[in-house]
Amino acid sequence: MARKALLISPELCIGCRGCQTACKSWNRLPATKTVNKGSAENPPDLTPNLYNKIRYVEMPSNSNTVRWLFVSQRCMHCDDAGCIKICPAPGALFKTKEGAVGFDKDKCIGCKLCVAGCPFDVPRYDEKDKVSKCHLCSDRIAEGLMPACAKTCPTGAIAYGDRDAIIGKAQKAGYQKLYGQTDLGGLGIMYAFKDTPKVYGMDESPAIPETIVFWHKVLKPLAYWGLGGAAAVSLLHYLVIGPKKDEGGE
Amino acid sequence: MTIIRKASAFEILNHWVLAASFFILAISGFGFLFHLEQLNAVFGSFNVMKDVHNYAGLVFTASLILTIFHYLPVSLKFGADDIAWFLKGGGYLSKKAKVPPQDELNAGQKLYYIVILLSGLAIAASGFAVWLRPQVPDIRKLVVLSHLVHNIAFDLMIIAVPLHIYLATLANPGTLRIMITGTVPLEWAKKRHAKWVQRIGY
Ligand code: HEM
Ligand code: HEM
Ligand code: SF4
Ligand code: SF4
Repeated sequence: MARKALLISPELCIGCRGCQTACKSWNRLPATKTVNKGSAENPPDLTPNLYNKIRYVEMPSNSNTVRWLFVSQRCMHCDDAGCIKICPAPGALFKTKEGAVGFDKDKCIGCKLCVAGCPFDVPRYDEKDKVSKCHLCSDRIAEGLMPACAKTCPTGAIAYGDRDAIIGKAQKAGYQKLYGQTDLGGLGIMYAFKDTPKVYGMDESPAIPETIVFWHKVLKPLAYWGLGGAAAVSLLHYLVIGPKKDEGGE
Repeated sequence: MTIIRKASAFEILNHWVLAASFFILAISGFGFLFHLEQLNAVFGSFNVMKDVHNYAGLVFTASLILTIFHYLPVSLKFGADDIAWFLKGGGYLSKKAKVPPQDELNAGQKLYYIVILLSGLAIAASGFAVWLRPQVPDIRKLVVLSHLVHNIAFDLMIIAVPLHIYLATLANPGTLRIMITGTVPLEWAKKRHAKWVQRIGY
């Protein structure tokens, strides 16, 4: 199965938020009460009931009163996913055969480690402490349908397809490298940025926290080998040198 | 044969509470680390195992704090005889090795206690931070740090504890009874804890 991906083109986005609504509708997520913080961006952040949202970036501009950038924000479906790496519960977070990162609330133990392990601050947890995030409509794409957000988008700002095909097309259109093309082993959500990622509110070089990588490569195997090593040293000592015998002691 | 008391009943009880909670924590901890689904046969599910781990952590922490009264004062008395004991490998490197006279705990036991106390406090503090998520400006940073601390402490303990068990049983016949009856023969104590025996007036 070819890895699937979304291509986000902020300059095509008109900020209608049809994607937010379509996502809520497909995933049966209730609306959340929000407050007006003086920006049209609403709600201000992802919530357990909001898997994707449009980030509104207002920039000074020479040709217009203001330059608006609308950036779709959600789980990036990383190839090397920090959330999966750190999760202590088997099956709570998993890769689908299309390359999406899905979740299973029944298997999630509510430890919230994934919240800290994700380079993009994506996972949220619901009132039962269970993980909640975009799953690339893995139920839809498994049936050959496109994700609800991409299906709804009226301008093509969210385009869905085979990851390789998307990259190929973007290259023909003049993008040398998409945002997310190689980060974290390649993201499942890529961005056609015309400016530096920072301008769009994105991290230049997203990475899993170093200590988590260190834990995965060193501390985790050390628990295994440390236990075995201590047992082996004890056994070896017993066989080679033997116990302390006190003449007349026992 | 004179028998003398080395551990009080409360000390013995507390040691086994500490050991039992540690085993539960270490086994479930291994389950989390390596996704050992076989453990579902014991705990039922990872959801139950998480609660068991968290509440066993509570017991472990309480028990660890109580050990401070039993072992910290003597463990902090670290002198020339302790250094000499380490230089001689504790007498464990050959059958003929002789070590300087030791206190109520020998130098190795003192070091072991300090390792268990420090890594125990670290694993408890970091565990509670992940579990209870205190109100701090950047909780994600705190959890990443706690995850690191929890796992470093775990590695230290998972190496130290098997060595402790070996040294307290097979390697030193006559030691285990301290944590069962609380007593040892005077002759045995004179050979291993001469300074202590002298201090308490034998
Ligand atoms: C003292 C209180 C402790 C608390 C509150 C605590 C809490 C936690 C928490 C919250 C986790 C994350 C997964 C989960 O939610 O279950 C965890 C994981 C773990 N704990 Fe503890 N723990 C404690 C003590 C210990 C002790 C004493 C040990 C070792 C003997 C230990 C070993 C582990 C290991 C190996 C993991 C898995 C590591 C990982 O996946 O990062 N914990 N603990
Ligand atoms: C089956 C397992 C265990 C056995 C047979 C065992 C046995 C013993 C014995 C006989 C002593 C008394 C030594 C003396 O007074 O000279 C002792 C002391 C002690 N034990 Fe254990 N123990 C076990 C597990 C544990 C565990 C899991 C921990 C902590 C995580 C622990 C922590 C301690 C501490 C801190 C002391 C006092 C300091 C020392 O003697 O070094 N023990 N143990
Ligand atoms: S963006 Fe975060 S939640 Fe999504 S796959 Fe990557 S690490 Fe996991
Ligand atoms: S909160 Fe759930 S999904 Fe996240 S790391 Fe913990 S068990 Fe895994």
